[in-house]
Amino acid sequence: MKSGEGLKNVKRMSVPFAPVFNWSVGNWMEQFFDGLKQKKILASKCAACGRVYLPPRMICERCFDKTEEWVELPETGTVETYTMAHVGVADNGELEDLPEPQIIAMVKHDGADTCMAVRVDAQDCNVGLRVKAVWNAEPDGVLDALSAYRALD
Amino acid sequence: MEREVAIIGYAQTPYEEDADASREILVLRAAREALASAGLSRDDIGTVITANNDYLDGRTISNMRLVEPSGACLKDESKVEMDGAYAALYALMRLLSGFHDVAMVIGESQASVYPTYAPGVMTLDPTWDRQRGLLNEVSAAALQARSYMNTYGISEEQIAAVAAKNLGNAVKNPLALRAVPGATVEQVMGSRMLCSPIREMCAWPATDGACAIVLAAGDVARKANRAAWIRGVGFYHDSYLTERPLDKMTSLKMAADKCYAMAGIEHPEVEIDLAEISELFAHEELMAYEALGFCAEGKGGEFIDSGATRMDGILPVNPSGGVLAANAVCAAGLARLAEAAMQITGEAGDHQVKGVKTALAHGQTGLCAQENIVYVLGGE
Ligand SMILES: [Zn+2]
Repeated sequence: MKSGEGLKNVKRMSVPFAPVFNWSVGNWMEQFFDGLKQKKILASKCAACGRVYLPPRMICERCFDKTEEWVELPETGTVETYTMAHVGVADNGELEDLPEPQIIAMVKHDGADTCMAVRVDAQDCNVGLRVKAVWNAEPDGVLDALSAYRALD
Repeated sequence: MEREVAIIGYAQTPYEEDADASREILVLRAAREALASAGLSRDDIGTVITANNDYLDGRTISNMRLVEPSGACLKDESKVEMDGAYAALYALMRLLSGFHDVAMVIGESQASVYPTYAPGVMTLDPTWDRQRGLLNEVSAAALQARSYMNTYGISEEQIAAVAAKNLGNAVKNPLALRAVPGATVEQVMGSRMLCSPIREMCAWPATDGACAIVLAAGDVARKANRAAWIRGVGFYHDSYLTERPLDKMTSLKMAADKCYAMAGIEHPEVEIDLAEISELFAHEELMAYEALGFCAEGKGGEFIDSGATRMDGILPVNPSGGVLAANAVCAAGLARLAEAAMQITGEAGDHQVKGVKTALAHGQTGLCAQENIVYVLGGE
């Protein structure tokens, strides 16, 4: 607004906003995480329509009901779509160049009806590429037990 | 609709990278100007609906201190924490209830204030996707773009053509933030790659700005200086991005079908004279052509190649420059509605398209356009 000379950015006040929330991951994600520790990929299944959710969801949005069944899925899947990411979001909430470009893909595990957004360790990628989970030998925690995916030989 | 409702006033602030004004002053300017254009005063306002976001504004109940600049003091007032096109929907419903005759609708945000890409990350599933750190607005849109390209054989050049068209159109819109005189496909293709296939010129620019519109019903609308009548509206919500096909915009198609049924439109590609679409990323405009029935499924690329959506084409899309030219979050879709209304009333200035009788406006919220809302506006 041009309402006065030299008004540009008179003052910036920094307003810290860094709350930490402690979400319950829910019983379903807890079972999924427990599975990952044992290198098992567990998905939830809707008894009514048979839809298989991975990551597991507690509710089938189509049937408006809880998903009550579990299925263990193979480590293999198919790339539904992908991107070569050159930037990511830095801690300050702005885009920053990644040290190395990385492939991010939506992988649909064999037997699943939904996708997981995952990293694919490869030079190249394409839609339809068959991939396999790569387990982290020494995970820091449960979240990086499943480190990435690689092309199936 | 039982009661006829029209847009009778509108205003947008200039869109800037770093506006030299507080949010309250941006809102005051837009609201006062919109009200003045409607020929009304604050006393005439029945209800005020704002679109703003606690996270973007860095405060909870972020509409609280907008009471003064929006004209809402001691009036019926509420808020949506979504795009402003949904605030207009809420206002429309308030008017259709019969309890009010005039509604003020405002959307605003300042990207210069908040960490630009953090809000998008905050919309991710917290227990998995947010923890993994892979998805954000740009990478998610890139996954959507690749999926669409792969299914229908769309080229990067066809996507770049959307950006070239819109950024070129923006030159004639004095309020636009990003305008590129004579923008070309080559220029867009030469811009920095963010997440393939999304390049910098194919992604929304961080923007400060506000938009306000005045809606009126009944006699107030009939006696107004100008009126762009709301003939139809439709809105649908799709699944979370990992749980739906990303190669099409199903919720937008459903919203359009609903809207067209209400507006009595059977052949949108012929009956609609102009569209203002919320293309946060260039490829979304091609996907929207298909979902809105402007062309057949999978033919979005051919449709842009045909020149149909240029300013001088048979169905101009985003003469204002669209969201690629300015994206004040929460105001962007509302601005599409204002722009569509301006085209109907003949007040779009240098980017006016001749003979617009029926115009479409589209707003969206959520990663990969999870929720979509469509309006059809008509003249007398
Ligand atoms: Zn089900």
